[in-house]
Amino acid sequence: MAKPMLEIEQLCYRFPGGGPEKMQFDLSVSAGEVLSLIGPSGSGKSTLLNLIAGFLEPESGRIRVNGEAIEQLPIAQRPVTIVFQQHNLFPHLDLYTNVALGINPSLKLSLEQDQLIEDALDSLGLSGLEKRKPGQLSGGQRQRIALARALVRERKLLLLDEAFAALGPALREELIELVKVLVQRKKMAALLVSHQPRDALIASDRTAFVQDGRILALQPTRQLLEKPDLVEVRSYLGSL
Amino acid sequence: MRSAYLVPAILAVLVLAPMWGLLSLGQLPGFEPQDLQFWQSAYIRRVVFFSLWQALLSTLFSVAPAILVARAFALNGEFPFRSLLLRIFGLPLVVPSVVAVMGIVSVYGSDGWIPLGRSLYGINGILLAHVFFNLPLAVRLLLPLWQGIPRHHWALAGQMGFSGWHRWRHLEWPALREGLPGVLLLVFMLCLTSFAVVLTLGGGPKSTTLEVAIYQSLRFDFDPVQAVILALLQLSLCVLVAVVLLKLQKLPEVEITISSAAGESGKYRSRLNRVVILVAGIYVGMPLVSLLIDALSGPLAQVVANRYLWQSAGKTLMLGLGAAVLSVMAGWFLLGASSRLANRGRLKQARLIELCGSIIYVVPPLVIGTGIFVLLSDYIDVFAWVYAIVIIVNAMMGLPFVIRTLGPAMRKNQMQYRYLCHSLALDGWNRFRYVDWPLLRRPIGLSAALVAALAMGDLGVIALFGTPETATLPLLIYQQLGAYLIPQATATALILLGLCLLVFWVLERCIGGKANA
Repeated sequence: MAKPMLEIEQLCYRFPGGGPEKMQFDLSVSAGEVLSLIGPSGSGKSTLLNLIAGFLEPESGRIRVNGEAIEQLPIAQRPVTIVFQQHNLFPHLDLYTNVALGINPSLKLSLEQDQLIEDALDSLGLSGLEKRKPGQLSGGQRQRIALARALVRERKLLLLDEAFAALGPALREELIELVKVLVQRKKMAALLVSHQPRDALIASDRTAFVQDGRILALQPTRQLLEKPDLVEVRSYLGSL
Repeated sequence: MRSAYLVPAILAVLVLAPMWGLLSLGQLPGFEPQDLQFWQSAYIRRVVFFSLWQALLSTLFSVAPAILVARAFALNGEFPFRSLLLRIFGLPLVVPSVVAVMGIVSVYGSDGWIPLGRSLYGINGILLAHVFFNLPLAVRLLLPLWQGIPRHHWALAGQMGFSGWHRWRHLEWPALREGLPGVLLLVFMLCLTSFAVVLTLGGGPKSTTLEVAIYQSLRFDFDPVQAVILALLQLSLCVLVAVVLLKLQKLPEVEITISSAAGESGKYRSRLNRVVILVAGIYVGMPLVSLLIDALSGPLAQVVANRYLWQSAGKTLMLGLGAAVLSVMAGWFLLGASSRLANRGRLKQARLIELCGSIIYVVPPLVIGTGIFVLLSDYIDVFAWVYAIVIIVNAMMGLPFVIRTLGPAMRKNQMQYRYLCHSLALDGWNRFRYVDWPLLRRPIGLSAALVAALAMGDLGVIALFGTPETATLPLLIYQQLGAYLIPQATATALILLGLCLLVFWVLERCIGGKANA
């Protein structure tokens, strides 16, 4: 098996002002893989993504992408792009500008970069909407735009922080399938945080179960969800 | 992170330097140890007693009716002119004190609709003016408490057949109890430090507050020692009230606008409630209407033709705009520093930094003015620096409003887009241009408009250091009033009011722009 694209080793974090005990994560994801993270709310799934993106500072530990440590890099220089559940787009800027900000924050783009945006919008079925404002779109379209921006940034790692949680089941499935295709085509690695076990089934061959700031299980998704051997997983899932 | 403390540090210097000046009173020219006995004199006792007494009465007469009015507004979801009336209740925020005083003189003066004659000057006039300002303020502070009662609670109360008394006891009073002490203390503090109203409507030593006594001892008695002792007394009283206020920490968050608030809960209409609102509306509206009528039928043309008036107007405008720019900038940095600290989980420091913005409540303008006078009058001609001093003090007076108007919007912005901006490397100028400015220009415009209007109408430090050559419109009105030129003062007051409203409107529109989607 090829060397994993993302490796996380003993990444420790503690919330400022005491709070619950120390979190510690170990994980690796290979190129082309979408790994799902499930677990109760407050378990540390989003914290893990925030640590990788650099929004939070770890106490200790390593984050490597393609073998290079990134935990010291400034946020914007990390090979990471993230999509949140909401507030991904600035409501007062049109869609083209929202995507273009992902390439250059001062909005000075070359012709090739312009083309890149057009292609990305095209591949997500959004061409022709460049001049619209986010308020004029459906929730699904807004998340597609956020994905388009994530793609044009050409980063190795895609983090989806409940990115599709506000959408209906059919739309969620559609977008997850889209993410799978894009991740494989672009040879990225992706982490998907979700509250819906069904999302993990669609998205991932492997799924991690997170609780109390630890990864308690990392197994083939089907096995984890359908024949869970951990009592924590069983109680999280309830009777399936 | 050092920048986080920059604005608080500047504020601290501005406040502490005068205090140091106050405390070094032993070195003042003409200081004799027995001067200190002044502090036990009957004069001081009378002034302190009157300061507290008028503040107490003003608070009671403002807040008690305000509870009834706020309740009436909350329970009457819709009726004709509701939003117009709410708008009228926002007006006193931008009406200068001297203008309100002229309006009150015009209604209750000897030629007014409800003549109180000579007895207007003294505690009666002071109370009338303080209620004019603080009743609407209290209504706007209290109304959100009712709006905070969940819709479902009203529905449940209806389902369970609550009577009016039950609703009051189980829904309204618990909600009100949270915020009421804060509102009471805030109004008390505002009345305790009120200057222009007491200066113009108070009469003689019988109705003088500490704030006015400071002014008199500097301006007329030329007695800095006495002024410093009074200033220290005023400072201690304010600190006392502020400490209690902070302990409560329950001052309701209210968005300050002169537009109407939306989203009312109750639909319990009653004729009595509408009468309550109407009476309060008339009380607040009448001085302004009367002022308008008096000014239009008076020597308006003669006043307008005076070149001196327009020179004063120009100075007033310059001071207002200067204070607005300074105040909004200071507020911007203060809030930015505070929210950066909050993001790092240092909530205590964040709150502390924000509190710095309200320092002017604790150290009132005249106390700062006295300090500046004592500290700097040996080195510079403070009367020549009057504009700089007035702009700085007015900017500090506007800062609490900037923080309340801009703060919530900035925090929300920061919460929603902080991570996104970090991950897109949007910072500095780019972030300001593409994110902060478009999303925050409305509250920025509103803050600037508020501060400008407040500063233009302020009669405080300018009274201390102003001369006939440097007079602003409020000071001009005061001078006209002092010369018993009441028709002229009334006309000038109308011009000042018009100018304030115009500047408010222009700034709010020009900076605020159109609403963003």
